[in-house]
Amino acid sequence: MTSLALRNLGARKLRSFLTALAILLGVMMVAGTYVLTDTIEQSFDKIFAESNEGVDAVVTSKQAVETDDNTEPPIDAGVLDRVREVDGVSIAEGNIGDPQVAIIDKEGERIGGGGAPTFAISASTSDAARERFDPLTYVEGGPPEAKDQVTIDKAAAEKGDFSLGDQVTLAGKTEARQYTLVGIATLGDVENFGGASLALLTLPEAQRITGKQGQFDQITVAAEEGVDQETLAKNIGAALPPTAEVETGEEDTESSQEDIGEFINILKTALLVFAGVSLFVAAFLIFNTFSITVAQRTREFAMLRTLGANRRQIITSVVVEAFAIGLGASVLGLLAGIGFAPVIGLLFDAIEIGLPKEGTVVETRTIVVALVLGTGLAVLAALIPAVRATRVSPVTGLREGAVLETSAGRRRRGVFGIALTALGGVVMALALFGALTPGEAWVGVGAATVFIGVALLSPRLVRPMASVVGRPLEATRGVAGRLARENTTRNPGRTATTAAALMIGLALVSFVTVFAAGLKGSIDDAIDEGITADLLLSNTDNFSDIPALAAEEVKDVPGVESSSPYRYTQAQVEGADGTSYLSLIDPATVSDIFDFDWREGSAETASDLGPTDAFVDEGWADDNDIGVGDSFAVTTPSGKELEYAVTGTFKDNTDFFGDYVASGQDAAAYGEADNVTNVFITLADDADGDAVRGEIEDVVDTAFPTAKVQNREELKDAIGSQLNQLLGVVYALLGLAVIVSLFGIVNTLALSIYERTRELGLLRAVGMSRRQVRRIIRYEAVITALIGAVLGLILGILFAILVSRPLADEGFVLKFPVATLLVLLVLAAIAGVLAAIGPARRASRLDVLKALAYE
Amino acid sequence: MNESPIVAAHDLVRVFGEGDAAVRAVDGVTIDFPEGAFTAIMGPSGSGKSTLMHMLAGLDRPTSGTVTIDGTDLSTLDDADLTELRRDRVGFVFQFFNLLPVLTADENILLPLSLAGRDPDNKLHDRLVEAVGLEDRLTHRPSELSGGQQQRVAVARALMSQPSVVFADEPTGNLDSKASEGILDLLRRAVDEFGQTVVMVTHEAYAAAIADRVLVLVDGRVVNDETPESTEHVHDLMNQAAA
Ligand SMILES: Nc1ncnc2c1ncn2[C@@H]1O[C@H](COP(=O)(O)OP(=O)(O)OP(=O)(O)O)[C@@H](O)[C@H]1O
Ligand SMILES: [Mg+2]
Repeated sequence: MTSLALRNLGARKLRSFLTALAILLGVMMVAGTYVLTDTIEQSFDKIFAESNEGVDAVVTSKQAVETDDNTEPPIDAGVLDRVREVDGVSIAEGNIGDPQVAIIDKEGERIGGGGAPTFAISASTSDAARERFDPLTYVEGGPPEAKDQVTIDKAAAEKGDFSLGDQVTLAGKTEARQYTLVGIATLGDVENFGGASLALLTLPEAQRITGKQGQFDQITVAAEEGVDQETLAKNIGAALPPTAEVETGEEDTESSQEDIGEFINILKTALLVFAGVSLFVAAFLIFNTFSITVAQRTREFAMLRTLGANRRQIITSVVVEAFAIGLGASVLGLLAGIGFAPVIGLLFDAIEIGLPKEGTVVETRTIVVALVLGTGLAVLAALIPAVRATRVSPVTGLREGAVLETSAGRRRRGVFGIALTALGGVVMALALFGALTPGEAWVGVGAATVFIGVALLSPRLVRPMASVVGRPLEATRGVAGRLARENTTRNPGRTATTAAALMIGLALVSFVTVFAAGLKGSIDDAIDEGITADLLLSNTDNFSDIPALAAEEVKDVPGVESSSPYRYTQAQVEGADGTSYLSLIDPATVSDIFDFDWREGSAETASDLGPTDAFVDEGWADDNDIGVGDSFAVTTPSGKELEYAVTGTFKDNTDFFGDYVASGQDAAAYGEADNVTNVFITLADDADGDAVRGEIEDVVDTAFPTAKVQNREELKDAIGSQLNQLLGVVYALLGLAVIVSLFGIVNTLALSIYERTRELGLLRAVGMSRRQVRRIIRYEAVITALIGAVLGLILGILFAILVSRPLADEGFVLKFPVATLLVLLVLAAIAGVLAAIGPARRASRLDVLKALAYE
Repeated sequence: MNESPIVAAHDLVRVFGEGDAAVRAVDGVTIDFPEGAFTAIMGPSGSGKSTLMHMLAGLDRPTSGTVTIDGTDLSTLDDADLTELRRDRVGFVFQFFNLLPVLTADENILLPLSLAGRDPDNKLHDRLVEAVGLEDRLTHRPSELSGGQQQRVAVARALMSQPSVVFADEPTGNLDSKASEGILDLLRRAVDEFGQTVVMVTHEAYAAAIADRVLVLVDGRVVNDETPESTEHVHDLMNQAAA
């Protein structure tokens, strides 16, 4: 039986090939994801290990609040003296390592474009420390020795076309300054930090540019001969103030690696979800292919059974065939994935998430998962058709045109489909409203269940939908259109499964499209309604901070009425879940720039905001049972304890302000004295807007090159284009699933053409031209594709409606980008045409006489 | 029967395979089919009847020799032209699988016209439908028709486009004698009433007996070309050929 199965495989090369291709693509994506993320992780590990070489202990301040960027606040310089006193300490050095600076190139643009950070790092203060700790290899020159000198990494020097002696501009938390380039370095043999750059400065200058005078980011310690890391750390720990903590060098390296590992895990999960979608679609294709071919072979099976083969043997033969295809495709998919990993990496480069990727890491886990997944899926998808085929009694099977599915079976399938669809919808709803955790995962499970349910249901939809989509073709294209429509409905289950595969991809694409349009629209609304400022300053990377000084400098520009600093940051509110986001505003000018959507309170609530007052987001207040008149306690990232009295509540549309708004007078308590998120600017009524803007730009360009001036429209455009970039990546990742489903169309067409060989021969004999034959096949593909697209569009829109429900409180308003959705339909039809090219050509080239003689 | 022929074959040869394995399925056939004649082609199995008919109908190309239909030399036509010729000037009735299962009987009848994008001649359509006796079966699909009914639909289709010639390859091969008679009667009437030219391959002596002319093929050559007088006469011709 096994050899029979394998012979079948060879005999139906095209079908096997297309099925294999579907699995291959899915496995490729999974393997590619693992290889890419493992590679990134390993590159990071190497960077951390290199930079911590020679370090036996690291002292940092304790992280008071878990923030998104996960950095500790700086530590007081006084701690260094204490550490130096500790037994077993040979060298102790206070360092700066701050990712919030920028190297400005000769054209005034920041190097790295703002996607990857630039670190300001302090140079060693003694030769002994340099010898012991300095991870840098100086390719040219050496470290800076004066405050107006800088050493930068090789990649940055190349990007900025800098050579020794050049003037290099650095922007930090103060006004930008020029430095003389005295060295070019690499980190050990690491060439690529994933776009991140280094600027090495003398310690005092590094402290100044990062706003950390009298502070260090960390203290690195080397042990005396014979003292091990644990003993050293224990000794130091005893001498530290309660705000500081110590780790051994090894622990520090590991915790850095873990931190980045968490981030990479998020990436990996996201990519695996998309890979999963492709595999899910591939499973449909495999299932469909085996259903068709097993149906075509029902007679052959029946004959084998009359000859004495038992059911198990027949099932085994089908499964062996699936196993062979699955295994072969998985191996190829694994290899393709190793090659494909850099391509996925390009997607991140496209949205300027620079990540180091050196070499290619193929873990055993990658190989196992890829092979098991691909092979397992193929076998599972083949099992159902195999079992179904053998349920037919041999005698029935031998009769011509035996039907595999009874009408009762079809009805059962329909009922089951409805039940699954409903179940999936309920699961999604429960997950969205927090009844099932983790929410994202359950939403995914619910969506997958809905897809299967609709797929089971869809055979009933094929006939009416084919009528709707097919009638226009029939009316304009006559008999070819008519035949195409009839052909798609003659086996509704087959068309339905084929269309369902495309439906999945399209549902997700249209969901993302509708959701993104809603997000964009809602943000635009919030900006239009909430922001009354004329201009704003923000970081050129659109999210980092800019120097607080900018607010002061801009205030002095003639024609500027007010210049209001705005800070968006995090803190831990006592009793609240997770870390809270908050806004710090300038009460004196806030009424010029923001128009809050008050629930309790008025513009005065904001302008009269005292240092210990706060007004809070309505939803957050409800969740935490806080109201006007209550007070709440806060721990800031720098470990300060604050207490706020609630003076008002407002509706925070699109979550722009976070959970509460307090006065910026206390910015220092949050460690945010030197930087702001934005500066909002209003112009005097009689000011010449363009001229004033020009002057503001002059100030910004020279003193604060990391900042840019925008008006409201530009802000909306910037957010829109960021959103579009992200959307582009998601489209690209979903594109793979769509491509897989197109193979499904090709496959189904090829198989049904094979079944209809005689019919096609007859048509050709009585005078159907090749062109007309091609047209039929093309229309069949278009009808199938459109059925899938319409179903997908409907599901996608429903998903978007469902998912946006819980966000309605935050001012999320759905928008339907009708034009884009129509474009999707047209694209689906075009995709159908493309999928039909091969099969249509094959069909039209049939040898008429052979086809007529075909049995 | 002395007008210019509708279909003419000159020294037709069809060789399948090469070298030692080569089979000369049709081996030098020269014949004319005059307009309005009903010709039956007979011969033992494997004698080349179907092969000859395929070449006459433009479904297959001869190894050498020429076929002319309505004055057109088929060898000068490319595939698209040949297809068009089959559609407009040739009618077909095969032994089985004549109809498209997804189309109704009526749509099957009109298929060649639909393919050509031509409007049907309604009078002819009514007459044909009446003649084949399918007035109340027109909207049925082939699977809902008996074998005889299916063949009658096929005959109606072959006649509907008013072709120059109708080729039928064992049109009654799958039918019982009563159903066969119906089909043969239809073909005969097409010749008599519409002046249709019909070429029919058959194994049945009684079928051949209703034709105006019987050709007997043996090993790819025409060994007899006579006017059948009776079923017995046709039997004799066959026996002669077998000897
Ligand atoms: N495509 C082909 N390839 C090779 N040989 C062929 C092919 N078609 C027909 N032949 C051979 O040509 C000869 C004539 O075949 P043909 O089908 O014309 O016979 P026939 O008279 O129609 O027979 P039957 O009465 O059985 O239908 C046979 O020997 C057959 O094997
Ligand atoms: Mg024959």
